[in-house]
Amino acid sequence: MKLPVAPQRWEDYGSDGEGVGRAEVEQRSDMRPTAGEPPHPSRSSLFGLDWFVFFVANVQTGFGAFISVYLTSMAWTQVDIGIVLSAGSVVALLGQMPGGAIVDAVRSERLVAGIAVALIGASALIFALWPNYVAVLGGSVLHAAASCVLGPAMAAISLGLVGYSGMSERLGRNARFGAIGNFAAAGAMGTFGFYISNRAVFIVTAALLVPALIALAFVRTSEVDPERAHGGQPEQPPQRPLSSLRHPTRRWPLLIFSLSFMLFQLANTAMLPLMGGVLTMRSAQWAWVLIAACMMVPQLLVALVSPWVGRQAQSWGRRPLLLIGFAVLPIRGLVFAVVHDPNVLVIAQLLDGISGAVFGVLVTLVVVDVARDTGHFNLALGITGTAIGVGATLSTTLAGYVSDHFGSGTAFLVLAAIATLGLACIWLLMPETRRDEKTPPHGRDPAAASSH
Amino acid sequence: MRRRLRWIVAVLAVVVTAPACHGRTYHRHPPVATQPAAQVQQPAAPAPEGEAAPPPEPAPAQEPAPPAQSQSDKAATLAVTFETGEVQAVLGKDVRSSSDEDMGRLVDVVVDRQGQPRAAIIDFGGFLGVGSRKIAVDWGALNFAREAAKGVITVELTRDQVKAAPEFKEGSPVVVLGAVTGPQPSPSTPAPLPPKSSQPQER
Repeated sequence: MKLPVAPQRWEDYGSDGEGVGRAEVEQRSDMRPTAGEPPHPSRSSLFGLDWFVFFVANVQTGFGAFISVYLTSMAWTQVDIGIVLSAGSVVALLGQMPGGAIVDAVRSERLVAGIAVALIGASALIFALWPNYVAVLGGSVLHAAASCVLGPAMAAISLGLVGYSGMSERLGRNARFGAIGNFAAAGAMGTFGFYISNRAVFIVTAALLVPALIALAFVRTSEVDPERAHGGQPEQPPQRPLSSLRHPTRRWPLLIFSLSFMLFQLANTAMLPLMGGVLTMRSAQWAWVLIAACMMVPQLLVALVSPWVGRQAQSWGRRPLLLIGFAVLPIRGLVFAVVHDPNVLVIAQLLDGISGAVFGVLVTLVVVDVARDTGHFNLALGITGTAIGVGATLSTTLAGYVSDHFGSGTAFLVLAAIATLGLACIWLLMPETRRDEKTPPHGRDPAAASSH
Repeated sequence: MRRRLRWIVAVLAVVVTAPACHGRTYHRHPPVATQPAAQVQQPAAPAPEGEAAPPPEPAPAQEPAPPAQSQSDKAATLAVTFETGEVQAVLGKDVRSSSDEDMGRLVDVVVDRQGQPRAAIIDFGGFLGVGSRKIAVDWGALNFAREAAKGVITVELTRDQVKAAPEFKEGSPVVVLGAVTGPQPSPSTPAPLPPKSSQPQER
């Protein structure tokens, strides 16, 4: 069987999905067909995955900057809040690779995802019920550790369900549901926080655990091929762990890609908070509305665009889309640096939706490409995740420092310069990782790889 | 802290009844021979409470004897009972302007070398924690009484007055917004603060 050139649209699974029954799936797993055959996951599984992604985005939104608002209202000192948040981000950073390795090692991605999301729900409950130092510190660490597993587990379920050929479309769809989830959650949190209490936000967050698990239950384990989910070849599990990822033709793109996205996050993460601070300075009355718009409207754009990004990633290739995603970031930084009209700032923030869609689809997709047939897809995802985490962690510190000493305009320019560097990285060094199935893998000449 | 502990022990024999000081440090000193009722305080509100929130005026302890009756402003002794509503913890409290705008939450208190509160740090603005800024406002510009029943502190400043204030950062000069009404809310005072002259209202 050969791969269809144009990938099937799993969005339309309503028409063809159910036709492929469980019997056929089981038959396939007996036969262990050639790697190229696209799997046919059932409608129920895809539906479950859609909504699992949605509810996980819901749950995760509660754990952002809002934690600090909540703990402040619980009469916490800023020092303690800082410690709790730092502990969480350190664990989130260190846990990426172990988290990926765990997911690579397990045989039931669904079980792991379920446990992880349950732990995250539990930590939300801890936050709501026992806002004392030890409990919250523990909850924060628990949440970070569980998130390190949950991210790769969701990617693994996706890959295990749809296989390589359907992955780009699937990731587009995941990004859409995640963005809608973020959007809905931010709106709901704002409402709950305003009309009820900040504590209610965490109780609702914990309660969202239930629909998340129900959605997950719709994913049929039998359809999530563990080998496929780990990026292995169905018929032959990898013999030597890790070594295949170390091969230059894989290592080089993974390295460049991780570096580029580290630069991207280094430039990106601080931009919205910094801009929010500027808005607060400029327009006292409506700043919060503008900031809410800045957080939520780009999510709608992500929801709109990312399925398209997923499709184009297959027909155009990854590089053009990466270039688009990276190119809008310096533009955004420049606009923030020179323009002072709050309304223009909000419009420029829309660009975040474009890079958000690219980011949401292509990070996982390129890692799938690179780690293909190694059986270490999730570990590779953890490596990239660590790089991204480093960028994100340093971003606010860097931007805060520059902004304190040289003003926010300069800070935006510095961020824009870093983003340009990331763009250059992608442009000059990053090979195209899409496979044509006809050309040999990782189309870039090996000379580039061996030169490093 | 040490000093205070020692002092607590000293006064113990004179004033305090057993329940007023709980457990660990003090149980070597059984509540022998204290004058019973007279000035004895309620067992509630023991000393450690003081550290939690607002600066409790440590009040040097030369005169150990008559514990100021609970109504007085200054705590002269170890255990003073304030009626509910008379005092409040301020950390994390909502701050609103006199025209009832949401000004954020009080997140810290800045004191001078004498321990006198000079400014409150308010976490101002933002949405779900994004885009908020920490701003120092003059302690005297805060009114703790007006909305105390609702657990809200009011401040004699508007959003427009504080929005442009420089962000509070520990270790750099603190710019404190005063309560002066005028075109410019004088965001100009560096570290050695001028004497507070512009407090229209009482504490």
